[in-house]
Amino acid sequence: MSTRRLIVEPRGLASTRLKLLVPVASVIAALIVAGIFLLLTGESPVEVYAKMLDASFGSQRGIAETMISATPLILTGVAAAIAFKMQVWNIGGEGQFLMGAIFSAGIAIWLGDGFPATVMIPAVVIAGGLGGAFWAAVSAIPRVYLGTNEIITTLMLNFIAINFVNFLIFGSSSPWRDSAVATFPTGRPIPDAARLPEFFFRLDVGIFIAIVLAIIAWYLMGKTRWGFAVRVAGDSTDTARYAGISVPRKILGVFLLSGAFAGFAGGLFVSGPVGALDPRSLILNLGFTGIIVAALARLNLIAIIPVAVLMGALNNSGPALQSIGVPTATVSMLQGAILLFAVAGEFLIENRIRRPESVTVAANPEPETA
Amino acid sequence: MNDSQLVLTLVAAIGLGTPLIFATVGEIITERSGILNLGVQGMMLIGAVSGFWATFTTGSLLLGVIVAVIAGAALSWLHAFTSVTLRVNQIVSGLALAIFGTGLASFLGRAGSNPLVGNPSRKVFEPLITGGIAEWPVVGPLIFGHDILVYLSIIVAGVASYYLFHTRMGLSLRAVGEDPASAESAGVNVSRVRYIHVMVGGALAGAGGAYFSLALTPTWQDDPIGAAGWIAIALVILASWRPWRAVFAAYLFGAAERVQFTLQTLGDPWSNIPSTLLAMLPFILAIIAMIVLTSGKRARLLGAPAALAIPYFREQR
Repeated sequence: MSTRRLIVEPRGLASTRLKLLVPVASVIAALIVAGIFLLLTGESPVEVYAKMLDASFGSQRGIAETMISATPLILTGVAAAIAFKMQVWNIGGEGQFLMGAIFSAGIAIWLGDGFPATVMIPAVVIAGGLGGAFWAAVSAIPRVYLGTNEIITTLMLNFIAINFVNFLIFGSSSPWRDSAVATFPTGRPIPDAARLPEFFFRLDVGIFIAIVLAIIAWYLMGKTRWGFAVRVAGDSTDTARYAGISVPRKILGVFLLSGAFAGFAGGLFVSGPVGALDPRSLILNLGFTGIIVAALARLNLIAIIPVAVLMGALNNSGPALQSIGVPTATVSMLQGAILLFAVAGEFLIENRIRRPESVTVAANPEPETA
Repeated sequence: MNDSQLVLTLVAAIGLGTPLIFATVGEIITERSGILNLGVQGMMLIGAVSGFWATFTTGSLLLGVIVAVIAGAALSWLHAFTSVTLRVNQIVSGLALAIFGTGLASFLGRAGSNPLVGNPSRKVFEPLITGGIAEWPVVGPLIFGHDILVYLSIIVAGVASYYLFHTRMGLSLRAVGEDPASAESAGVNVSRVRYIHVMVGGALAGAGGAYFSLALTPTWQDDPIGAAGWIAIALVILASWRPWRAVFAAYLFGAAERVQFTLQTLGDPWSNIPSTLLAMLPFILAIIAMIVLTSGKRARLLGAPAALAIPYFREQR
């Protein structure tokens, strides 16, 4: 390294300004990269981005749709963030989201008509959380008790859940499938009492439930004894063990909580805008996008809310792009680039880069402090 | 006899397994260097679209494969940069690669005034031998009836196996994946070894992607590879980080994928099994393999690189 021109060393604490600057720069850098591809294929990036902005924020209806898209992303973002904080690599948000959707549509259909909204809505939200936690448990239990790496199992469970949703609607005559529609299989509409009330165009109260749940997660992780123990265990399992913290139980708890949040997202999406277990309206990579939200928010549970709105806006602008002949995939290309720059940007937050002139004592930098 | 369902299924399993061999052997080589790259799906799709594009514009299958290999390697360079040079989280970086590659491939297939989407490939990989020994009962279609990439994939697995376990460079590679600090003190350039093998992995994933767009489903569509890139990541474990085993694991998964079509042809009661349930099979197999084979200390005994997914800080030796 000594022959290189620049010196890289761990930074103790990054300033708040830097922590804000890096995510903003990630988004700008991604816009530039996607812009280059747009230029290469004969599109005007300025025109495309203006169209996206207009579709997502240019009208009241657009804003409502953006918030609808943001609602599940807040929760899948929280799901990823609380797991990643504890070094639990739950990348199964997609499957947990879908299992939540299956559970909440299931309980709504099973309860049927005859219950008031005050019973139905809590039932669908809680069922969604249970569904997500159940699907997370399939990975969490082997991880905690057998030491099975969760990255692969959570990943594979996504595809099992996707196929299971398709099975319930396209492959069987399950109670989730609408028996009244014979021509093309669709999900059975859930009872009206289980639907979240809309208040601004199609925007329903799910957005408030999501924000409240995110704040509860922030409080739980940041302000309670349990959250403190989890953070200690996440930083160093040895320290936690010395402090008498049961690391396996903390891992299990965080894993299930993470799954529950992804499941809440599925539940709110079913009882909000979708209203049925409809594969085409539910399999939208909302679980995977939650990982982008969490990374760009740098695992900060409050920052996740505005970041989810940004990602929701991007998702929401896809159809508008199609109308001007630009591929919808521009959105996922942009989101992938944002994630790539956001994760690369962590380097700048954790390290200081300087010129070698000032080398005096720092030949052997101190080990990184947590 | 060659038209029997068993022979047809086995032949199809070899075809469907071929892209998985390329991608899985590539990921094995990458992981052996201690780097986990979850972006296989993205690299395969970039390989698929760029290979299709190159063949579409030049009419040359060879150029198609070469371009796919270069494109896959180029995308994987991003992962090498973030995980080796910047030493940030490999899991998130790999996922970013998967999402970016998927979006970019779909974008490139649809962008422009004359998009690729919906177009059939100008040339398609055809069986090397037709007639003669390829008509022999059972062994004909099973062994002699394939295109050149099927044979190449087996050669790649053989070469990778020899390289890993019988050459000095392979030894250095494994040392870097096991204990980078010791490898470094023995004079191995850890960063260079990791860069090279991440990019070899990307190149092979690119080739696997091209096999889809130039042989298996040679009409460009948004998502021509299904979940192959994700399955390849699971296959690495099933193959316990050994290239030869990857060949058999890939064919097994190829067969599992093909079984849904076979059952349709068998009539009652087999054709009543919903294809959506059968589509889960590879993923269920992967989870069971994961739990049975790699739980606890067994992963190490099996051959999992000790330093997998752990960033290497030179100064913290």
